[in-house]
Amino acid sequence: MSGVTLNNVIKRYGETQVIHGVDLQIEDGEFCVFVGPSGCGKSTLLRMVSGLEETTGGQIHIGDRDVTTEDPARRGVAMVFQTYALYPHMTVQENMGFGLKMNGYPKAEIDAKVAEATRILKLEEYLKRKPAALSGGQRQRVSIGRAIVRGPEVFLFDEPLSNLDAELRVEMRVEIARLHKEIGATMIYVTHDQVEAMTLADKIVVLRKGVIEQVGAPMDLYNDPDNKFVAGFIGSPAMNFLKGTVAKGGKVDVPGLQTSIKLPVTLPSEGTAVEVGLRPEHLVVDRNGSTHRVELSESLGGVSYNYLVSDSGEKIIVEERGVDRSAEGDVVGLKIDPESARLFNADTEMRIR
Amino acid sequence: MSTAVKDRKPLGLKIALWAFVSIWFVCAAFPFLWTLWGSFKVELDFFSIADWTNAIFGRNTADTYGRPFTGAGYDGAFVQEGFFGNAINTMIVCVCVVTISLTIGTLGGYALSRSGQGYVFWLLITALMFRALPQVALVSGYLPVFFDWNVWGYLPTAIIVLVAINQPFTLWMLHSFFESIPKDLDEAAKVDGCTQFQAFRHVIIPVMWPGVITTGLFSFLLAYNDFIVTSLILNEGNRTMVPQIAAFLGTTYTEGNVMFAVAAVVSATVPLFILVMFFQRQIVSGLTAGAVKG
Ligand SMILES: Nc1ncnc2c1ncn2[C@@H]1O[C@H](COP(=O)(O)OP(=O)(O)OP(=O)(O)O)[C@@H](O)[C@H]1O
Ligand SMILES: [Mg+2]
Repeated sequence: MSGVTLNNVIKRYGETQVIHGVDLQIEDGEFCVFVGPSGCGKSTLLRMVSGLEETTGGQIHIGDRDVTTEDPARRGVAMVFQTYALYPHMTVQENMGFGLKMNGYPKAEIDAKVAEATRILKLEEYLKRKPAALSGGQRQRVSIGRAIVRGPEVFLFDEPLSNLDAELRVEMRVEIARLHKEIGATMIYVTHDQVEAMTLADKIVVLRKGVIEQVGAPMDLYNDPDNKFVAGFIGSPAMNFLKGTVAKGGKVDVPGLQTSIKLPVTLPSEGTAVEVGLRPEHLVVDRNGSTHRVELSESLGGVSYNYLVSDSGEKIIVEERGVDRSAEGDVVGLKIDPESARLFNADTEMRIR
Repeated sequence: MSTAVKDRKPLGLKIALWAFVSIWFVCAAFPFLWTLWGSFKVELDFFSIADWTNAIFGRNTADTYGRPFTGAGYDGAFVQEGFFGNAINTMIVCVCVVTISLTIGTLGGYALSRSGQGYVFWLLITALMFRALPQVALVSGYLPVFFDWNVWGYLPTAIIVLVAINQPFTLWMLHSFFESIPKDLDEAAKVDGCTQFQAFRHVIIPVMWPGVITTGLFSFLLAYNDFIVTSLILNEGNRTMVPQIAAFLGTTYTEGNVMFAVAAVVSATVPLFILVMFFQRQIVSGLTAGAVKG
């Protein structure tokens, strides 16, 4: 077992550079999740760790070994693909044992390891079937089984659950979490899904345009984002951003709230344009106020999301729970806890702490 | 379910469909059946000018041999003219052409489909252009060289030329089959410890099998049915079946025996039927290339 270290890793396709010098340390046994908008280079970075994509510059270490130019076969990694990539002409059993067979393991040992993985993933019934005769969830389990059997140092997952329906996704997510506990290997996991990232990760890496925006534990990213991008990306529904200006007396004028708030931060000079970030769950609807109109209300049962518009035209999403909720068309006010607000420089988008 | 759908078709449409299929079947099968039937007659019957029904009832055949059927054509072709030797030549040519063009085609098609370089497209287009040229243009270019080198007339020469003519097609076809196989499969195999060639051999080819069979069959048919190359390049002693049949028919200068040709045609057609029947499932799944989904 061993961690993964990326040192100033760069990827270029001809002239276009897609990964711009990434430094990252993933500890032994850690569950690391890459998130970021589509096209930001998550898959590319993962494939560079696997060796399927050449590394243009920098070094990749797995444990103490420099694997930057090593073949995928010799890196000690296993990969689970979004499309499962099972071998269609082999049975489930042969699929799982293929890697060991190619590496010349004796048959008895292969059978034992396949049996072990089969037990972990509850695949006993399907051992003799071909992939075509399995459901999507079963196929993905087989493909995870194929990875387990090889006993790799690092597991790589590229959006493994995105082809499954919602219910199965939850089930498999729990399964992967359990697997990580049971095996304890280092895992790198690429996903679009907020929930997967928040629940599975020990460490989340937020990428944008081939650059790491922030690395940290899920709740650290959520509570203490370094910049506006991370603040907006982590959390669903996304954080609200309202324009503001630094005013006299250590206050910030926020026209969207028709008020000034005093924040516990070191403010920049007076007149600086800032953005105030407020999470939907930190805002409270004030029935006695009259600063905002409820334009749309989405009720999901236990929680409602109200889309409010201020007089200045800025949109704010507010979460509401409980029995008494506001309806579309209501005119309401908002109560803010300054402690929960996050302040960002409007030009650099960096956090003001 | 499917029968229920079929049953809902209006009667008129069903009749029209059946009529169409029957007519098509008769049109398609008639020449074969006619030739098969006629191959057991004498020339006077099969090519009767006086009364075409002679070809069916074999009156002249009965006059000559006492029965309305005779194996004289087959006897002449195989025993007298040694058509069996031509059949063996055809087998040699076909097996060699199929083996060589499939070997080059699978390796090359795989390499092209996985290379991702810009020149792949131009390579394939060039290949297609060579395939589009009339074969006779290529062969007539080769001929003087072959005479010079003293290799004219032999089977290996014909095999090389047929492979050369056939290769663009096999390459093109196999390339598109390989394209339809997700690259994830190669990658999974590589992570599983395969080299690129092992991935090709253990994972891609087994999945590609229907495509390989289909392409192989097309190559086989091309070699089997070829007339231009074999007739121009092979000498009399090394002829394959098709040029030999042409020789049986005779030319303005040499006298032939039409019934030998008819019997030979039937003998040459039967193996094709057997072959296609044998491989029909693979051909269908190969032609619907989507069948190789991961
Ligand atoms: N062969 C290539 N040539 C040029 N650019 C490429 C190539 N492959 C990928 N890219 C670019 O690299 C960037 C990163 O791609 P990548 O697949 O890693 O994105 P991603 O973060 O995984 O996105 P998604 O979430 O949609 O899967 C993209 O902008 C893409 O256009
Ligand atoms: Mg991706």
